[in-house]
Amino acid sequence: MDLEADLVVIGGGMAGLIAGTIAAEEGLDTILLRKGQSATAYSSGAIDVIGYLPEASEPISSPEEGLFALSRLYPLHPYSVIGYDDRIESGKIVETIVERTKEAITWLKAHLDGTDAPLMGDFKSNMHPITILGTTKPTCLIQKTMDHGDVQTREDSVLLFIGITGYADFNPSTAAKTYLEDRIADTSPPRIVGHRTVQVMPFGKPYNLSSVELARHLDHEGTIEDLAEQLKGHIEQLGATHLAFPPILGIQNALKNKVKLEELTGTTVFELLGFPPSIPGQRLQRALETIFTKAGGKMLLGHEATSYQKVNDIVKSITATAPRREIKIDANAFVLATGKYIGGGIAGDEKGLRETVFDLGPVTGDYHSAMEIVPSRSTSRLSISPTGQPIQSCGLSVDPRFRPVNDDGIEWAKNLFAAGAVIAGYNYSVEKSGLGVAATSGYSAAKNAIEFIKEVT
Amino acid sequence: MDENEAFEYVKSTLKKEKITPYQSDELEIVKSIGACINCGLCINHCPVVAAVGLDRFSGPRSIAVELSRSPPEFWATADKVYLCTGCGTCREVCPKNVNIPEIVNVVRANIFEHRPDLVPKGLMIVKEIIEEHNLAFEPWEDKEEKEESRDMRLERLGLPSIPDIVKENAEVLFYPGCQAEERAQEVREAAKAILDYFDVDYTLLDEFSCCSLPSQLMGDAKTARKLAHQLKGKVKKLGVKKIVTTCAGCTSTLADLSVRDEWGAPAYHLLEYLVEEIGFEKLADALKKTAKPNDIHVSVHDPCHLIRHTSRQVMEHALNILRLMPGVRVSESVAHDNCCGGGGMVSFHASEVANSVVQENLIALEKTGAERLVTPCPLCTAQLESNLFKSGSSIEVDDLTVFIAQRLPKKG
Repeated sequence: MDLEADLVVIGGGMAGLIAGTIAAEEGLDTILLRKGQSATAYSSGAIDVIGYLPEASEPISSPEEGLFALSRLYPLHPYSVIGYDDRIESGKIVETIVERTKEAITWLKAHLDGTDAPLMGDFKSNMHPITILGTTKPTCLIQKTMDHGDVQTREDSVLLFIGITGYADFNPSTAAKTYLEDRIADTSPPRIVGHRTVQVMPFGKPYNLSSVELARHLDHEGTIEDLAEQLKGHIEQLGATHLAFPPILGIQNALKNKVKLEELTGTTVFELLGFPPSIPGQRLQRALETIFTKAGGKMLLGHEATSYQKVNDIVKSITATAPRREIKIDANAFVLATGKYIGGGIAGDEKGLRETVFDLGPVTGDYHSAMEIVPSRSTSRLSISPTGQPIQSCGLSVDPRFRPVNDDGIEWAKNLFAAGAVIAGYNYSVEKSGLGVAATSGYSAAKNAIEFIKEVT
Repeated sequence: MDENEAFEYVKSTLKKEKITPYQSDELEIVKSIGACINCGLCINHCPVVAAVGLDRFSGPRSIAVELSRSPPEFWATADKVYLCTGCGTCREVCPKNVNIPEIVNVVRANIFEHRPDLVPKGLMIVKEIIEEHNLAFEPWEDKEEKEESRDMRLERLGLPSIPDIVKENAEVLFYPGCQAEERAQEVREAAKAILDYFDVDYTLLDEFSCCSLPSQLMGDAKTARKLAHQLKGKVKKLGVKKIVTTCAGCTSTLADLSVRDEWGAPAYHLLEYLVEEIGFEKLADALKKTAKPNDIHVSVHDPCHLIRHTSRQVMEHALNILRLMPGVRVSESVAHDNCCGGGGMVSFHASEVANSVVQENLIALEKTGAERLVTPCPLCTAQLESNLFKSGSSIEVDDLTVFIAQRLPKKG
């Protein structure tokens, strides 16, 4: 059976869901397909905007500062492209770029209020939340459950890292050691950091536990009281003022649990940022899906865009394939938000890279064709290096309206807009800019698609 | 020894080595397992892990990266792989769409062939029934009793009695599935009433036989292929153009087999047939003509074999049909697409696991305030009904086919 829509969004991570929500809120009939979950669900659940400039080793203090620099030094960066639209006066380029990003991030924060992943922080400054390794990272917004309060400013603060017996994904003693060394080097509080282990037993056994079992268990009534009871002795022993937990405080009740635990223990309780696939990432994914469907968008889970029909420079329809059915969907505009290597928007083999839905030609971070590069040449031998892996900067080159362009710089189709990790020219793991670029490009791609749809209908 | 001789020699040693070569249609499944990036996202979504914990059921990731790669006879995996309900949630959330529900069947097939002693006894009982009767359930001994049971159901539900039709060259083969053929006979009768109401040119099978899904799920690949072959012969002989079923598991299995074995007749769920062939207009007309029914508040359960093994769009059809019904109010349950626990033959040998899985659905259902649950699958209906009853809930369960048939006016 065929379907029709105003807008089809391909991909259901941060970029696709934001694009879809904006279109649906505008009253457009919006269908979003998703073949599987992707990098957003994997993420730590904090929203990075820009933490480091490319090739710089010192973190920047605010997204605004980072965007000022990016907009001048890297005009093709996904944050920068909108500033170089013909319609923008040359004096307003930087302002346009900063304002658009701020608008998108503010929109996101406002929309996630009241969901399972409420956010805090703002565009004016980066925060430095603590990770499960005991390190800190610059990020723009965090989930409210990750708020560590005044642990890094209060002179007499005492931090306890809390591990859980049988939960191997978090080692509280290593985290405490790393964090304390870092604080000593920085001569800032807390000056006392400890670690303790408690028992949380979702199925009555203190071994072989996963994050999701712990999080679901803590969503149940009575479990937080038990936990608080176990913590009391540890807190008194060390005079702890702050408690750091791995990110398992709950799925639906995480924030309520944090507050309750704080009331019961008289400390500040917070979640550390965790490895993929983390529970806060799952909460963020759920929250984004909630705002999309609430806005009236239709999700088609388990469907992959496998082919398309294009007439001249207009994409007419795509075919969505489920395990045993195919659906043709006609639409006036399309947003391509399929991600990069995890999401599957860009795929590579020994011959080179290609974009997987429309077979577009990706480019490298230097904007040379990546269709015939050998992927191994675009990787660094050091797995973790300050310059990162160049292959992470490959993707589609887009025009100021986020339409993928051919090698002549002209858009491939008038009604196809790209958003998120499928776009070239940024390296999220080095810059700490992943979800911020996804949110901002999803926001802009949707605005441009809406404008196009209004012109043609 | 030349290359061919070497190949033949190695082939002759396979049996002794307990290695079964993959069938060509299994290769795609095996290859998809290689795409697993070992991330563990699936664990967060698996309904069996949620119900019994990772220690009891090691989860989809462990199937992809450990259990499907253990020694040829896969003996070490037996206590875990039989707990997968085959719901397909892991494949749907997986960014690489690793085909875990299907590799489970491949692993089970290896155990079945080389270590039948490790196959749960409950499954072996079903195997014997299938071998003897070509049906997943013991058939009624007394035909008259079966008819009496059917007539009682028809009377209780207010459904018309339509005589069975078997003829060649009909447009549609109506295939009720084992559950509706032998147990939930009201579903079979309701579907006939619907097809009859819309003047569909349909036939039944002369002698009903199983679609092969239960055999596939227990790992009895040989019987599965035999049943599939048998059914193809029947379909070909009848010369039908389409196959329509009311069972979710039959829908995905028949859809698969009709492509794999080139039946030349695609298979649909009745919901798809109603929407795509009959159309909303005729449906709406018919449903409006019903004598004013009492208002009813329902919730819907999505069968895994429709949403995750066929297409989510099928349940959109179900909701759209319910919206056409005067007096029917639908409240969505937050667990509407959670596995009922009845899949993967788990309930045949580990009913405590199956019944733990369904608890989430029951809790969410009570919160909707609905007085009835409808679902387009007789197996989900049975699993949900018995667990709601056991929990003391007042929520009744109807197969959606019955619910629709009850709301069609009298023909004429």
